[in-house]
Amino acid sequence: MANSISNTTIVMPGERVTSIEDLAKSKRVILGPGLRRLDDTVVASKAGPLRHKDPNTFWVDNYQRRYVPARGDLVLGLVKAKAGDLYRVDIGSADTASISFLAFEAATKKNRPDLNPGDLIYARVLNASADIEPELVCVNSNGKRGKLGVLSDGFFFKCSLNLGRVLLRENCPALTALTRQLPYEIAVGVNGRIWLKARSMRETMALSNSILSLEQTNYSQIDRICGDLGEVLQE
Amino acid sequence: MNEIATDKGKVPNDKLREMRCEFNPLSRCDGSVMYSQGSTVVIAAVLGPVEVKTQSLSIDGSYLECNYRPKAGLPQVKERIRESVIQDVLELAVLGESYPRSKMSVQIQELEDRGSIDACAVNAACLAMIIGGLPMKYSFAAVQCIINEDGEYILDPDQRETLHQRASFTFAFDSLEGDLLLVQTKGSFKIAQFNDIECLCRSASANIFQFYRDNIAKYHGRKSSPTSDVKEMETET
Repeated sequence: MANSISNTTIVMPGERVTSIEDLAKSKRVILGPGLRRLDDTVVASKAGPLRHKDPNTFWVDNYQRRYVPARGDLVLGLVKAKAGDLYRVDIGSADTASISFLAFEAATKKNRPDLNPGDLIYARVLNASADIEPELVCVNSNGKRGKLGVLSDGFFFKCSLNLGRVLLRENCPALTALTRQLPYEIAVGVNGRIWLKARSMRETMALSNSILSLEQTNYSQIDRICGDLGEVLQE
Repeated sequence: MNEIATDKGKVPNDKLREMRCEFNPLSRCDGSVMYSQGSTVVIAAVLGPVEVKTQSLSIDGSYLECNYRPKAGLPQVKERIRESVIQDVLELAVLGESYPRSKMSVQIQELEDRGSIDACAVNAACLAMIIGGLPMKYSFAAVQCIINEDGEYILDPDQRETLHQRASFTFAFDSLEGDLLLVQTKGSFKIAQFNDIECLCRSASANIFQFYRDNIAKYHGRKSSPTSDVKEMETET
C-alpha cells in the first residue's frame, strides 16, 4: 500500500505528525500508544519509529521496560499475598493487580484454588485503566482455563516490552529456531516477563540466554546464535 | 573535545563540546543513559510509573521526584538546588496526567564534573525519560554559556574556562518552538549580553535536539536488518 510514512521514520516527543493529520481528513484514523491528539493536530508523546498497520492504525514503537496495564492483555504475574477473597499479584505495573479466588476454573466458595505467595500465574487483564487497580482472571468468558493458570517449576526472567511483543508474534522465527534445537515450554507475558521450562537447568539457562540476546541482535543472527545450541549442550 | 587555550585573543568558542551517550547501561531501572559533554559525564536513570507514598499521591497526575548525587561526598544544599531546578524543568515537559496516583523518579549521578554540569544533568534527564518510555509534551535541551574576563562568550565551557568567568548562564529550551524553560544566571552582565547569549544558546540547542534524534534512531536501528519489522504485531491471542 502506498503510504508516505516509511517504517523507519523516527518521531520525537512533541513532534507533529502531519502525514497522519492529512489522512485523518478523509477517513477515520486510530492513534495507538505514543501518539495523542491535540485539537486538530496529532502529536507524538514518545520517541521511536512510527509504525503503521493497514488501513489506518498508527503508533510509536518506543523502547520500554515498564508495563502499563491494558484490558485484554495476557500477563505473567507473581502472587504477592492473600487478602481475604483476593490475591495480590505483581504484574510489573505501578499498582499491584488483584485476582479473585473465584476467577479460576472450577473454583467455588468452598473449593478455593491452591495458590500461595510466590506462585507464578499466567492471567488475562480483565479491567485496567489509569484510575483503577488492574484486575486479572485466569479463566476465559466460558469459565474454562485454556492456557491460563498457575505455572510450576521452570525459570522466570524479565525482558523489555518490545522483546515480549516480538516473541508473541505468530510463528515467531526466533522461537521456531529454538524449537528445532531443544524442546521447551514457554509463556510470554505482554508485561515483559517470560517463563521457560526445559528438560534440565543447563538447557533452560541456554535457552533464556539466547532469548535475552535477541534484545541486541536481529533475526538474521538467530541461527548463528542458536544454531549449535543442541550440540553444545550434549557435551 | 575543543581545545581552547586560556590565553587572550582567542576566537570565542561557539561550539558545543562533543556529546556522547550510551543507552541502558543499568539493568534494574526502567530507562537509563550515560551522557557526556566533553569530559563532563553523568548517568541518569528513570523509574516509573511506580507506586507512590500516600502523602505525595495525586489523583490528577503523577508525582515527579528528582535525585542528584555528586561524585564525592553527601548531597549538600547545592545538590538540592540542582534537584529542584531539574524537577521544575521535568514537570513542564512530562505528561503527568497519563499516570495518576503514581510516581516518576529520576536519579542523576554525577560521574565527572568538568564544566557545565547543570546543562549536562538536564540533558541526561531528558534522554533518560525518552528511553524510559515516559510520555512527554516535548523534549528539552540545556546549554551553558559564560562571559570570560575579556568579555568573550564561551559556549559549553570547560572546567579551566570557568575558573575566571565574569558571568555564567544556563538556559533550557523546548523542542517545539524553542521556548525558554529554565534561566539560571550567576555573575554580573548587561541585558544586551544576556539577550545575545540567549540567542547563541538557542541555536546551539538545535544541535542537541539533533543529537537526541540521531541517537534514538541509532538505538532503534541497532538490530538493523533489511527485512526489519514492517509486519503488525498482534498482542491479543
